[in-house]
Amino acid sequence: MSTTPRVSSAIAGEPAHFGSVLAHQPAIASAFTDLYAAFWSSDVLAARLKEVARMRNARVTECGFCRNVRFDKALGEGLGEEIVDDIDWGYETSDKLSDAEKAVLKFTDALIHDPELLTGDAQAALKRHLSPEQIAELGLGLTLFLALAKALITMGLEPEVMGRTVLPTPAPAEMA
Amino acid sequence: MSETKSGPVTAALAGSPALGAKFEAFRSAAHDALGEEMVAHIRRAISEVHGVDAPVPMGEAPEIMLAYARRMPFEHTAITDEEAAAVLAELGEEKFVAFSVVAALFDAECRAEKVDLAGLSS
Repeated sequence: MSTTPRVSSAIAGEPAHFGSVLAHQPAIASAFTDLYAAFWSSDVLAARLKEVARMRNARVTECGFCRNVRFDKALGEGLGEEIVDDIDWGYETSDKLSDAEKAVLKFTDALIHDPELLTGDAQAALKRHLSPEQIAELGLGLTLFLALAKALITMGLEPEVMGRTVLPTPAPAEMA
Repeated sequence: MSETKSGPVTAALAGSPALGAKFEAFRSAAHDALGEEMVAHIRRAISEVHGVDAPVPMGEAPEIMLAYARRMPFEHTAITDEEAAAVLAELGEEKFVAFSVVAALFDAECRAEKVDLAGLSS
């Protein structure tokens, strides 16, 4: 996995990072920013559950950038590091993660890793904890998390060194 | 996945039209940047890896790009600087960025189809 950018920044004076590289395609960048803000600002599915799924995706895809970013909305909903630490292999036995969070994690693993993991029991658990509309929103999030992580990694935009970084949760421009 | 437009995530978001429209706008922007013919080739290459149906595309696409796309589903961390440089030289920076987004997004959409996201969301 390369930590040397494979694409240059399209913004003068800025190093190559996801935003400055995506600026080579302004229409894609604009549509993504709009979508990601709408996704995170929707409260159909709690930000804490979205962040649980995003953290799991970060570990499975080996996205170091994703793994070190925290969105403040989920922190405000109580997703502390002691809980994030349990979003690892063996999360099923965690006593810090709720049953709903474990159902989300199992679905996350099935979508981003192995669809065979979505057994009848896993599907029943997901439907017990999430409404169809919430599952749709989770599916959208996982699609974006996975695509973002893989695009970032394959364009060589993984940071060499990065500490934990709390960022404002993406929000629509008029709300920011 | 038989349709160029739509797809499992858009279908799953039928009950959330605002989010669905924004997702479709993002997806369309990525596709438009690359052109539908090239998108169809990438879709076919990635679908074959996942064992998902996709229409046979028209025309031809650079094999070096398709080989790279086939690595996206299960080998994204193993793609080398040399492989990336070869595709970059073929496409140029602007299209390489669009290609990276389209390939990564289509891999995720295939995965959403394999867990029947649309069915679970209805």
